[in-house]
Amino acid sequence: MAKLRLKAVCSLMGVMMLTGLLYGCGGGGSGSGDGGGDAADGKGTTLTILNNWNGSSGPDTDTTPVTQAIEEKTGIKIKIDYTKGSEVEKVNTIFTTQDLPDIYTGPAWGGELDGIIKAAKEGQLVDLTDKIDKYPNLAKAIAKENVPPALYEKAIGGIGGKKYMMYQNQPATGNDVNDWLYGFYVRKDIAAKVGVDPQSVKTKEDLYQFLKKIKDANLTENGMPVMPLGGFHEGWAVGIGNTLFYGTSYVDKGDGSLENVFFTKAYEDYTLYYRKLITEGLLDPEVFTQTDPIANEKIKQGRIAVLAAHYPAILDASKDYVKSHPGSNYVPVGPLERAGAEPNRPVDLSIQGNNVTVITKKCKDVDAALKLLDFLASDEGFLLVHYGVEGVHWEKVNGKPVAKKEWFDKFYEDTTGKVKRNEGITIGLENITGMDRINSVGGGDIWADQDRLAAMDNARKILRPNGISVISAYNPGDVITKSPDWETLKPSMDQMGDVWKQAIFAKSDDAALKVINDLRDQIKKTGYDAAMQYVNEQLKGKEVVKLAMPN
Amino acid sequence: MKSSLLWKRVWRHKLFYLFMLPGIVWFFIFSYVPLYGLQVAFRDFTFVGGFTGSPWAGLKYFHQFFDYYQSSAIIRNTIIISLMKLLIGFPMPIILAILLNEVRHVKFKKTIQTLSYLPYFVSWIVVVTLLQRLLSMYGGPVNDLISSMGGEPVQFMNNTTWFYQLIIGSDIWKNIGWNSIIYMAAIAGIDQQLYEAAKIDGASRFRQIWHVTLPGIRNIAVILFILATGSLMSAGFEQLLLLSGPATANIGSVLDVHVITSGIQQGRLSYAAAVGLFQSGIALILIVTVNWIARKVSDVSLF
Repeated sequence: MAKLRLKAVCSLMGVMMLTGLLYGCGGGGSGSGDGGGDAADGKGTTLTILNNWNGSSGPDTDTTPVTQAIEEKTGIKIKIDYTKGSEVEKVNTIFTTQDLPDIYTGPAWGGELDGIIKAAKEGQLVDLTDKIDKYPNLAKAIAKENVPPALYEKAIGGIGGKKYMMYQNQPATGNDVNDWLYGFYVRKDIAAKVGVDPQSVKTKEDLYQFLKKIKDANLTENGMPVMPLGGFHEGWAVGIGNTLFYGTSYVDKGDGSLENVFFTKAYEDYTLYYRKLITEGLLDPEVFTQTDPIANEKIKQGRIAVLAAHYPAILDASKDYVKSHPGSNYVPVGPLERAGAEPNRPVDLSIQGNNVTVITKKCKDVDAALKLLDFLASDEGFLLVHYGVEGVHWEKVNGKPVAKKEWFDKFYEDTTGKVKRNEGITIGLENITGMDRINSVGGGDIWADQDRLAAMDNARKILRPNGISVISAYNPGDVITKSPDWETLKPSMDQMGDVWKQAIFAKSDDAALKVINDLRDQIKKTGYDAAMQYVNEQLKGKEVVKLAMPN
Repeated sequence: MKSSLLWKRVWRHKLFYLFMLPGIVWFFIFSYVPLYGLQVAFRDFTFVGGFTGSPWAGLKYFHQFFDYYQSSAIIRNTIIISLMKLLIGFPMPIILAILLNEVRHVKFKKTIQTLSYLPYFVSWIVVVTLLQRLLSMYGGPVNDLISSMGGEPVQFMNNTTWFYQLIIGSDIWKNIGWNSIIYMAAIAGIDQQLYEAAKIDGASRFRQIWHVTLPGIRNIAVILFILATGSLMSAGFEQLLLLSGPATANIGSVLDVHVITSGIQQGRLSYAAAVGLFQSGIALILIVTVNWIARKVSDVSLF
């Protein structure tokens, strides 16, 4: 009897394990078709959106006041997924595994855009050519005049004559341009301690001497040394000193033809300059391997004297330290000279933050997706997504949105941003609201506190004495991706960033140049010359980007 | 006739086979079914064609790998790191198992065993974060200790001088306890009369280890060594991805990481599959060769 019982138990165990294993393999039976009501007018449909921006995050629950308002207006429920990690990796993964959202939205550049273009060519996206004109807000955002020319020709204007992509966040007017104020920022108290006026730092030599003075001062914070120059995750954005050496990624060879700056003497000088910073202990050697939490910890502990990044990130990261150490706020260094630019030239900015949105072939209701996106791109949708529900979170005063004090205080007190996200604001929907009209239609950043706005204004005055100019010329970086040799060339070109980092850690200048030259040879071997010939032919007679500051 | 006898035996022991079934199913689903995907190494992978419908590309991606200017460096790095792990890391669990076997205080022995197993269950991301914290030049306790003793702070992470020590040391620390279990089991299976006979012959503890314990675990060690050679072309993806930085890339770039970065990050699936297949092919050759040598030299072999 006991033997029989043992047999029964063993058999049951075996069956259970097998069932569990097979169930696990089957993904639990949930498919992409769940949750959709599929009504002809979109009512009751739940659409999934992948917000492919690394580090983005959403509310605690799918339903928020903002998403509820969207549902009331369109009848469509939304569920947003977020990317934690590489955006390029995410694009490649979703199409390879066919784990596709209804709507994808992500960066309009680099490997992310290349992945989307590949997906379009291979039938993974919905062809919107005959549909887009029925949705005026979407059609406006992809009109030729509203898209940078090279990007229009490369992707937005059509792939093989068909339109697949919607385009967002291009400033609608000059007043809507979001200048992130990238630059070097020094702690005010440290600059005073070493006796240097941050605005007196103009040249690369000045910057080097300034960092050296900080190093030589042997400053400590809670017994730990203060590092002269640091950044955020994986070295973002310590490399922005490149504008001290060259204007942009593709430069004139002197005969009117273009070449990638990686092949120039200026790039070597830039590399060796940073190598010197590393060798002499002026640049945090952990900067390229650190995570954001570690970077933030260093800043919160007051251990970084000069930070290179955009100003909002610096203001956010240093908030706590500044609160407990008044007078230690980060202030702009410079403005630094720009290679190849006249001193009185406005700062040339490319528009970052631009977004490409597509509807995947697995979308359960294409018309509902377009209806949703068109609503979000309307002025009403724009204000709802950026500011919350009118009458609840904000109200119009003299025709402009103004935050309600109750919500302003709540959002201000919450340094995590969670309260705001739980209301449905900054949950990724702001990436799909058509052209950026934050000032022309909206009322600017109504949630920013006065101190922050004042700091940004001050930095703008210092770093942009001649104003800004939005780049509208052709970017050779977009054109080269259409060259027939791009498939073989791309893997080599993709390594330039990694190789630069390897070079600055090389044992000697010669070793650093060897690392650069080895990749140069590989790039040449994989079709660089033919690709550049293509670029030069395509751009003959066209205005090309010659100067660009990070943005 | 023979096969019907075999099936009768299988049926007689069906309960034991039932216990094996989940393992067999697991291996079938996760190790054998995906083998069909290897063909993608010979195809131009497209989203629409997938593994079976993409156009054939022949050896294009193998050529691309061998034409890649860093391919030889990547292969060299992989072999160096794996060899170091094998030569230094392989004897460590044996030594630990023998040392633990000599401990007579049961509670102490059990505590050490448990403590040595624990790191195996800690993921590499946690191990590397711990190392970053401990070894940081800025506030890391190790460097604080060095400074307090009058020394200069040492940059352990992202430094070629300390790279191999960190890789091998952390690998041993993480795996030594877990890998020692099988040797502990083998030692437990040694006939106690052999030890008693050795004692009567006047053998010291060391002599007993040398003449009884080591020969007793020799066969299992040889088999594990043969299996370990199969990993010579695989230096450890997670550990190397996390511990290698730009400063150590010249000695820390390995095949496993190259496969992932080219396949997932750059979207070159066919290329990544080709490199992975090359890696597996060499591993197979190594296993067969070492197995053959082991059979010739010691009569112990896997097959």
